[in-house]
Amino acid sequence: MPMASLSRWTMSYFAAALAFLLAAEALAIAGIGYPAAGLAEPATLVLVHLVAIGWLSLAMAGALLQFVPVLVSRPLALPGLALPALFVLIAGLILLCAGFATLAGWIEAPLDLLPLGAGFLLAGFSLLGLMLVTTLLSARPITLFARFVLTGLACLAVTALSGATFTTLLSGRGGWLGTITLLPDGLPFHALLGLGGWLGLIAIGVSYRLFVMFMMAPEPPARRVRPVLLLASLGLALAFAGLAAPFAGIEPGAVWIAAALAVLILAGVFYGRDIHALYCTRRRKTLEINMLASIPAFVALGLGVALLPVAVLAHAGDGLIAALVFLIALGWLGGLTLAQLVKIVSFVTWLETYAPRLGRGPVPRVGDLVAMPRTGWWFLLYYGGIALAAAALAIETIDGFRATMALCLIGTAGLVAELIRIRRLSQIKAVDRPPAHERPRLLAARAEERRPVHVEAGSIAHPRA
Amino acid sequence: MSKPEASPIRELDVRPMLRSGEEPFQAIMDAVDALAPGESLRLVAPFRPVPLFSVMANRGFSASDRPLDDGDWEVVFSPVAGMQADAGLATGSSPAAVFWGDPVEELDLVDLEPPEPMVRILETLESMQPGDVLFALLAREPVFLFPELAKRQHEWAGNFDASGSAYRLLVRHGGGRAHV
Repeated sequence: MPMASLSRWTMSYFAAALAFLLAAEALAIAGIGYPAAGLAEPATLVLVHLVAIGWLSLAMAGALLQFVPVLVSRPLALPGLALPALFVLIAGLILLCAGFATLAGWIEAPLDLLPLGAGFLLAGFSLLGLMLVTTLLSARPITLFARFVLTGLACLAVTALSGATFTTLLSGRGGWLGTITLLPDGLPFHALLGLGGWLGLIAIGVSYRLFVMFMMAPEPPARRVRPVLLLASLGLALAFAGLAAPFAGIEPGAVWIAAALAVLILAGVFYGRDIHALYCTRRRKTLEINMLASIPAFVALGLGVALLPVAVLAHAGDGLIAALVFLIALGWLGGLTLAQLVKIVSFVTWLETYAPRLGRGPVPRVGDLVAMPRTGWWFLLYYGGIALAAAALAIETIDGFRATMALCLIGTAGLVAELIRIRRLSQIKAVDRPPAHERPRLLAARAEERRPVHVEAGSIAHPRA
Repeated sequence: MSKPEASPIRELDVRPMLRSGEEPFQAIMDAVDALAPGESLRLVAPFRPVPLFSVMANRGFSASDRPLDDGDWEVVFSPVAGMQADAGLATGSSPAAVFWGDPVEELDLVDLEPPEPMVRILETLESMQPGDVLFALLAREPVFLFPELAKRQHEWAGNFDASGSAYRLLVRHGGGRAHV
């Protein structure tokens, strides 16, 4: 049946993701990681993985658990794995970061924490992939949207496997690789597949479907969307080849990275054109906060993809490349995620609270759950911080970066508070709130017992008639 | 009743399960799910499984039954041509929709943003009588509406129009109401 119900643990994924984002921002303010440390130093790796896995991947996973079933009109497969997957992923990330901390000399612990953490992460992502792939393949035909997600999940698999391989090298257990050198040349490809493939490509695929809905825009024709997927897949295949090249005795250089990037950027250009068209052809004239707050994210993406290949080919310093990757990761992916979280959390909370009451009397609108314009001010602080922090990275000022990240932290903390207030229905007048025991819980949607309406199992086995 | 000609048939004998006190419903549904398009299911049971007929009718199968010599019953459930594949109804739709009367309410909800179409449909249903039919035109498949319809015992049938740009939904009031 094309029924979609509320994903039980999506809010827990979002909560964990936001906690990791706040932690990463706090560490950046404390001066841990780049630019105070080198790009590939353990301190930076802690920060990068807190953002990439803790914040972006967990938020993406939570959103996919809710929206993949909705977008393919099939119930989520194996829903019982959602919570275990979350715990395993969190444990894996903490172990991995403890491993990096050991590598940095902050704590005394065996370096085997690194591959151990990677193993947990592999297991957690496998559980997640199992749920999503089974759900996607249960709907036939496989739609273009499903192909975006499946390709992204393939990239996640390669990213996690390559990361796990790196951890064996870093922990001194890379003997099985013989003379093959994977580090540091494999790092850009690992990052490209993770950010561009798993997080980027799926964000692109999901945004096509959700933006049509959120802005009441006409669905872009498949012939326009398909080149985006094909080009991105080609770029990601190049990145995969770059990762695998050392096994064939080939050393991929900057040109290889630039080639993969160039194809990805072409995909980004087509995607940007489509998103622009969606905004322009929308039937809903007033933009809601989630769509308004997505605009700076697309500007960050535009800047990042336009300048990154130039910076790589021109052998620009670490500062400029770091600034551009920062713009893509925290400006585009991070900003887009924060913006859509406001919509997703308010929509899901509304559905959980008011769907059973519809028809009995007036109910608030979804937008009524969000405090405006206050939420907009938090976004302004966040994006202001991102823009200034990127500039600080480009000109390599350590104190400037730390100060501007404080703006991001304040903006993020404000948005977290708003999301909690949405779950608590704080904006709704007390009389319009359901009784306390029926209100949404902060971290888990209420599990519902649903019986198919036409089916009375007992009476079939033992008919009275 | 005529039996389907030359269509492949799968068999399921639920007598052993019932003898051992097991509940055969899930096994029957699994067998139905495993049918290839056009395939029929021959069910053997120790009684005439009347309630199953409507369940199967909702899934697009007609039933033809006959008593066996030993007091048991044989029922052949055959897919009704045109009911599912050809009518192109979305999964979960009630095939009985072809027999529903004319809609008493018609809603054009194409220009509304989710969840507004769901709000309007459920509000309208609240003012209708059991058996009344509502027709709604939507911009997309209302996936969050379906569980709510099911909980209120309303039946529905829907599909996209030929161009794929509008979703047509029929809902037959089943007697349920807002439940909180």
